[in-house]
Amino acid sequence: MNIPKDGLKLGTTLYSLTTEFHAREYTFEQLVRKVAAENLGPGLEIVGFQSFRGFPNVSDEFADQFKALIDETGLTLSCLGINADVWINPEVPMSEEESVAYHKRQLDAAAKLGFPLVRYQFPAGANVIEKCVPHAEKLGVKMGLEIHAPHHTQHPDILAYREMYERVRSPLLGFIPDFGASARAVPPSYFDTQRANGVPDGLIALAEEYWHLDVGTPFERRDQYVQAARAKGYEERHIIGLEIIFGLFSRADPRSWSEIMPQVIHIHGKFFDFDESGDEIAVDLAKVLPVFVEGGYNGFMSSEYEGYMWTDADGFDKIRRHHQLARRVLAPLQG
Amino acid sequence: MMEHRVVSDGGLQVTPNGCAIDIRLPWYRSLPLSVVEVGDVEIDGTLIDRSRIRFELNGESLRLDELLPRTDDWWYVLDSAMLRIDGYVVARNEPHVVSVTVSIRPPYIHGWTRITKTTKTITVQ
Repeated sequence: MNIPKDGLKLGTTLYSLTTEFHAREYTFEQLVRKVAAENLGPGLEIVGFQSFRGFPNVSDEFADQFKALIDETGLTLSCLGINADVWINPEVPMSEEESVAYHKRQLDAAAKLGFPLVRYQFPAGANVIEKCVPHAEKLGVKMGLEIHAPHHTQHPDILAYREMYERVRSPLLGFIPDFGASARAVPPSYFDTQRANGVPDGLIALAEEYWHLDVGTPFERRDQYVQAARAKGYEERHIIGLEIIFGLFSRADPRSWSEIMPQVIHIHGKFFDFDESGDEIAVDLAKVLPVFVEGGYNGFMSSEYEGYMWTDADGFDKIRRHHQLARRVLAPLQG
Repeated sequence: MMEHRVVSDGGLQVTPNGCAIDIRLPWYRSLPLSVVEVGDVEIDGTLIDRSRIRFELNGESLRLDELLPRTDDWWYVLDSAMLRIDGYVVARNEPHVVSVTVSIRPPYIHGWTRITKTTKTITVQ
């Protein structure tokens, strides 16, 4: 596989293939081989707790087998998704020390499997991540905070990390933009599923209208939508069924990613649906990718399909389309 | 989509002492049992008494109220768990409507519960 050295490179996260994996249609090894065979790399991202039994414990034997599989396919490990599971006991959250230890074990797994970086999640807290930095530096594993809707670069939760990064100044700390945070529309397939479940068109139109409003935060718009929907007498279960759009997709200006560009170490190319001309309907790649190319981003974008949450559409077909679109947008930018 | 995945296809079984239902974790990744709750289990419209149901996974058999303390025991996302119901006999070669609800509390999303109910009609050969 011919991998360019610099610039924005394509890849796939196996998370996009949740439907196929969960349904036991493909084993983990079969998914990896098919991603390579269909030229859906070269970057390969994996969620530890999805793909690896016993994660974050990794045996020497498994690590050897895994590395041999990656070597065989010619893929490049881009990112390991780790989780901030502070509420494993739903009644008592982990202490900061427990959470540090929990994150360190996942960093160890990343290093052992050969991943250069991990995606971590904001519920970890900036203090916990700061305390993990010496360990990450010892292992040489980068740590990227995923900025996922409804977050954006100026959200207080993200600013807390930006301030910590400014203070700590470790080259191993970075960010992972998720393109669902800078969407232009709600994926139509989500609304199609809701319609099939009996949610009225009028309520869907109302939710969509509030999603597009230019006032307040996403959650304020959500609360306004709920009030308006109740005033119109819609069924509560239908109203609640649409609330999720205000958290899963949000409307940050794609150009806002340039604020953190030097610290972007990986990208989640979140996507859902395509129109007849092959454009992604919710995520405007023609607007968002130039921000990264012109900003000098050097790393992978994992094609991250998340429509599996409401449909069983073929994940491989979705990723193929996403790569095709990304190549079309990138060609004139990258020369 | 996880709505049709809690009860596995053909997941009703006749056992020497009653019946069992093959269920799956309705989530993309493995979770500790402490964040998993088995809700209502119904067969042919009859709500099964919770005290009769055993949850079997990783070689262990638990009462449904024993999952919450299990913070170190994980349900790997590809594994089936079995709900064993002793003393509840289902007839072979006729369709049975099996309905199971599983709730999960993803441990990185505080205060959010996802409830998934699957209903399937299954004939045991």
